[in-house]
Amino acid sequence: MKLKVYADRMSQPSRAVIIFCKVNGIDYEEIKVHISKGQHLTPEFAEINPMKQLPAIADGRFKLFESHAILIYLACAFPGVADQWYPADVFKRSKIHSVLDWHHSNLPAEAEIILSSSLSKLESFWLKGNGRFLLGGNQPSIADLSLVCELTQLEVLDEKDRTRLLGPHKKVQQWIENTRNATNPHFDEVHRVIMLAKERQQHQRLKAAKNEGGSNMKKPLVSRM
Amino acid sequence: MKLKLYADRMSQPVRAVIIFCKKNGIDFEEIRVDIAKRQNLTPEYAEINPMKQLPAIVDGRFKLFESHAILVYLASSFPGVADHWYPADVFKRSKIHLVLDWHHSNLRRGPTTIVRNTVLAPVLGRPLNPEAAAEGEKFLSASLSKIESVWLKGNGRFLLGGNQPSIADLSLVCDIMQLELLGETERNRLLGPYKEVQLWIENTRNATNPHFDEVHKILMKAKEKLQNPRLKGANNEGGESDMKRTLHSRI
Repeated sequence: MKLKVYADRMSQPSRAVIIFCKVNGIDYEEIKVHISKGQHLTPEFAEINPMKQLPAIADGRFKLFESHAILIYLACAFPGVADQWYPADVFKRSKIHSVLDWHHSNLPAEAEIILSSSLSKLESFWLKGNGRFLLGGNQPSIADLSLVCELTQLEVLDEKDRTRLLGPHKKVQQWIENTRNATNPHFDEVHRVIMLAKERQQHQRLKAAKNEGGSNMKKPLVSRM
Repeated sequence: MKLKLYADRMSQPVRAVIIFCKKNGIDFEEIRVDIAKRQNLTPEYAEINPMKQLPAIVDGRFKLFESHAILVYLASSFPGVADHWYPADVFKRSKIHLVLDWHHSNLRRGPTTIVRNTVLAPVLGRPLNPEAAAEGEKFLSASLSKIESVWLKGNGRFLLGGNQPSIADLSLVCDIMQLELLGETERNRLLGPYKEVQLWIENTRNATNPHFDEVHKILMKAKEKLQNPRLKGANNEGGESDMKRTLHSRI
C-alpha cells in the first residue's frame, strides 16, 4: 500500500514534506485537503489527524502528523534517502533537532517581530561558517527544507514588504536559493500554488490601487460595468 | 569530562532534563544560571547558547540547546538508558516526536503564559496582564482536553498508551507542574476537570521519584512564598523583594 500524504500546498509544512518525498523518490499518493474550504475540519479527516492539521501521513495502518516528525520518519523508514537529510551521526542529528525545535518557537512567517529577530539569528548563528546550508552543511537536511518552506510563505507578501524583511539578510537569501537549487525541479513545482496565489494578490493590489486613483480614472472603470 | 548542564530549576524544560539525568544515572555537573538575575543574558552564557535560553548542555566540545533535542541526545548517547524513554522502534519513536512537536505549539504556551502574567509578573518586572492570562487559560484547557482525548486514550498509564514513561511524559508533565506556582485553589480549578491528566501526572511523578520531588522543591518553595498571605496584601513591596531575594538566594 502506497504512502498517503494529506496535504495543502498553501501550507508551509505540507510543502516541505512533498518536496522531500519527490527529491528522494518516495512513492506516495498526495491527497489534497483544502484548508480554505474547511476540508481539514471534516470528521473523515479527524480520523486521520484528530488535531485537524496538515500535513498528515498514513503508511499502511501507521498514521502520523506534525511535519518534523513526518520528515524524520520518512528519512528513517525509506531506503535510498541520503544520509545528509537526517544524518545517522548522533551529534549532527542532535543539531538538526535543535534547529527544528527552535523553528517551532521562532519562525512563524506571520509574526513580523519574531520573524525579524529569527532572520538575524539565522544569519548570525545557524548559517555561520562556510557551509551552503544550515549548521555548516554542504548538503541540505530536513531542517533546511522545513525552514525554507516556512520562509517561502513570504512570497505572498507585497514585494515591498518582502524586500524590507528579507533585504538585509543576504546569507538567508543565498541559503533559500541554495535549497531551491538542491531540490529543483520539485521545489518550483510544489511552490507553483504559492506563486499563483502571489500573482493573484498582486493583480488584486493593482486593481485596488487603480480604483483608488483620481476621478478621471474612475470614469472609464464605471463605463465598463 | 563530565556532562555540563546549564540550569535554572524554575524553568520547566530544565527540570525535565535534570530529572531524566538523575533517573538514568547520567553523571552531570549542574551549573546554575539564574534567569531572575538575568545571568542567561551575559556574554559568557551566550558562548554556550547564543539564543540565551535554558537548558543547554556541553558534552566535551559538543554544545546543544532546546530541551527536546537534549533529551533525545541523552537518550541516544548514554548507555543504560532504558528503551522506553526513547524507543528504538521507528513507529513508537515517531509518535514521541509527534507529541514533543505538538507540545511546542500547544501545551507549552498554557502554563507559562498564565504564570508570567499573574503570580510571577512582579518578580519578572512585568505588569499584571489578566487578558493574556485568560488567553493562556484557554490554551491550557484546549491542550488538556486534547491530551485526555488523544494522547491518553486507551489503557496505558502514560502518553501514547505506554506503560512506562517516555521523554514526552517527562517534558509535558514538567510544564504542567508550573501551575503549582498559582497555589492550590487555582491549580485545582484549572486541572480539576481533567481526571486522567491528574492521574498521569501522578504516574509520572511516581515513576521518577525521588528525583521528581527533589527537582521540584524549588518550585514548591517559590509557591509557598508567592501564596503566603503574610507577604501579600498591605506590604506588597516587601513581599516582592522578599520573593526576589528568595529566588536570588538559590545560587
